[in-house]
Amino acid sequence: MKLVILGVGGMGAISLSKILAQIAIGKNLTVKSTEIHGMAKKGGLVEIYMKIGEGVSPYIPQKEADFCIVLEKLYYNYALNLVKSSEGIVLLKDDDKRDILKQFGDVRFANSFILGKFFKKQDIFDKNDAVGVLNTFKMPDKNIKAFYEGVK
Amino acid sequence: MKLFLSGNEAIAFGLVEAGVRFISGYPGTPSSEILPTAIELKRKYGINAYFEWSVNEKSAMEEVTAASYANIKSAVTFKQVGLNVAMDPFMNTAIVGTPGGLVVVSADDPGPHSSQTEQDSRFLAFFAKIPVLDPSTPKEAYEFSKQAVNLSKKFEIPVMLRTTTRISHSREDIEIDEFNFKDDTAVKFDKDTDRFAATPHFRYLLHKTLNEKIENIRQKNDFKEYFRGKFLVITSGVSFAYVCDIIEQYNLESTVKVVKFDMPYPINFDKLQKKIDGHSDILVIEESYPLIEMQVKNRENVLGRLNGFVPNEGELTLDVIKELFSKCGIIKEKKEKSITAPPFKRPSLCPGCGHRSAFYAIKKVFKNRAIYTGDIGCYTLGLNLKAVDTVHCMGASVSFAFGFDKSFSTFGSKMPIVATIGDSTFFHSGITPLINAVHNRASFLLVILDNATVAMTGNQKTPQDETDSYNSTANAVGIENIVKGAGVEFVETEDAYNIDSVTDILYKAKEYILKSNKPAVVILKHPCVYTKEGLSENIRFKNVFVDKDMCEGCKVCIDNFECPSLIFKDSVVEIDQSTCINCGQCVVSCPFGAIKVEQ
Repeated sequence: MKLVILGVGGMGAISLSKILAQIAIGKNLTVKSTEIHGMAKKGGLVEIYMKIGEGVSPYIPQKEADFCIVLEKLYYNYALNLVKSSEGIVLLKDDDKRDILKQFGDVRFANSFILGKFFKKQDIFDKNDAVGVLNTFKMPDKNIKAFYEGVK
Repeated sequence: MKLFLSGNEAIAFGLVEAGVRFISGYPGTPSSEILPTAIELKRKYGINAYFEWSVNEKSAMEEVTAASYANIKSAVTFKQVGLNVAMDPFMNTAIVGTPGGLVVVSADDPGPHSSQTEQDSRFLAFFAKIPVLDPSTPKEAYEFSKQAVNLSKKFEIPVMLRTTTRISHSREDIEIDEFNFKDDTAVKFDKDTDRFAATPHFRYLLHKTLNEKIENIRQKNDFKEYFRGKFLVITSGVSFAYVCDIIEQYNLESTVKVVKFDMPYPINFDKLQKKIDGHSDILVIEESYPLIEMQVKNRENVLGRLNGFVPNEGELTLDVIKELFSKCGIIKEKKEKSITAPPFKRPSLCPGCGHRSAFYAIKKVFKNRAIYTGDIGCYTLGLNLKAVDTVHCMGASVSFAFGFDKSFSTFGSKMPIVATIGDSTFFHSGITPLINAVHNRASFLLVILDNATVAMTGNQKTPQDETDSYNSTANAVGIENIVKGAGVEFVETEDAYNIDSVTDILYKAKEYILKSNKPAVVILKHPCVYTKEGLSENIRFKNVFVDKDMCEGCKVCIDNFECPSLIFKDSVVEIDQSTCINCGQCVVSCPFGAIKVEQ
């Protein structure tokens, strides 16, 4: 599976990629990712490519990603250039962020939420694979709840 | 155990596992995460080792060289331009050799993504006549680190591990061997002045020994072969991974044959030539410069960088390689695909950064009538406030100020010159040119922007810190003492946030430099708000807002203060509450007093 994650610095795009990697490793799948650092922490774009169960390099040419998780809607149009089809885009909407903040008290739970949204679309992982990893988190209950909000 | 490691983390794991117990370096993207990972391993496993940042790459290189003389397996880490700083000891370490073993990790940044140059460190391995390993994945970075240590120990020659941004900042699932810490570290120094303090006569002999070592390694350097086609692709490093992906995608297993070098220098010329002789179509693909290509004896049928077939600048991405394959007729791309760039967002100093307040005050005093020499670090972004005219290399703000002052005062009339440098960069390379300015009577203002950390590369500690990387006691070295010790007479220190007081000091400094033949130094302190401590201790108003009735929409605040939290919307300025840290520093930037704070 070829997956791209787009976000801005400090939004947790990198931790999201690490969660996915842990899930993949748990399933004995190979996993690779690459990310652009540098000026990203100055509010710029964080662009992460991931290949799960395939490839030698983690790089994904444009129009060849199966999925693209977009954590900042500013990059939605750019994401359209990365995926094979717009069906593959998983967008974290501003409304989602607001709801997460209201319901969970911290917008960071949006990561587990978007993970759930992504899980609904893909078919190589089972929901229990994610729950297993989320269970190792600091606040497992809230994260798992946010995950299922996304799956809904 | 299987871990999801970045190339840089993998390198640290490999080095430590192979017995490296002395690592020094200086932070620089994309190399900065190697040493912190080693520090973490030392802490976690209670390893007896010296792993710590140094003040600059030259010092780091010399420290690890001495450690290897003392029979300790050692390593040094820096980015490619850091290797330039370390060149003097680097060349000599190659000649003398490394009894304990020494790995030089140099991280290249083709693109470049966050560097001044796209240089290929492998060429400097070639120049110094030392072997270089070029991993193509984080997994290989882990394996090659261990190989590098063993090779270096065996031949007593420094071995370079060249990584690139795409390796250093990629992650991969890697099976890590169980650590066993029965290490063989035994410190000793067998004095041998003919070697370790060699006069020129003995240097000739040492050079001969180096040549013998590298020839020995060359004879044993084998390439790997993959696939079974007629079209020969010779490659190494990250390019190999890209080539494999393209071969898989287009089913080229019986079209292409790949020759891969783990060690692109020194190459066994004859063996490679034998391989090449059977092929009429040969393409050399390697990241950065044509190192393998230049070692090919007969290049008659070789396509590469030397005949302009492969681009000679920019990153050799998978897309570029695909295009090359298509130009060779190996693959047919159905339609011309153009690459879309992501929406551009100008990088900017963080909201609340003390550097911004400093630059604002500097511009207020010196306006557009000064030459602004800048330096390497976050404050390069003083560009956005038009308070930086030159950026060259570490420490050059000070020597450039010297050069401009002498040029204008000798060949024209005196020009106000303002140099800006960060605290860590000052320690790294700013002190020596300041001494020259004092001695040779140059006059300029040097503003040291002191945020008490190496902010750009991940907030490493500086020599000013009272603790080391393990939070143990370290001796804090004061910048003011250094400046005064160098003989600077005008030295003032102030918090960058006190813009009024800073402005007064800068006016005085301006008068001083225009009247004297001496440099003035102003140290503007403010902790980095990107650190947890810096942010939590930062002044925080209850609210910072724009009075919409008073805002004239002139954008003076946005143009002159340039905080990303100031945004223009519906013909007035408003404050982006999602990024604002309520520092209130922007208040001074509004000519109409429309930006207000609530206590």
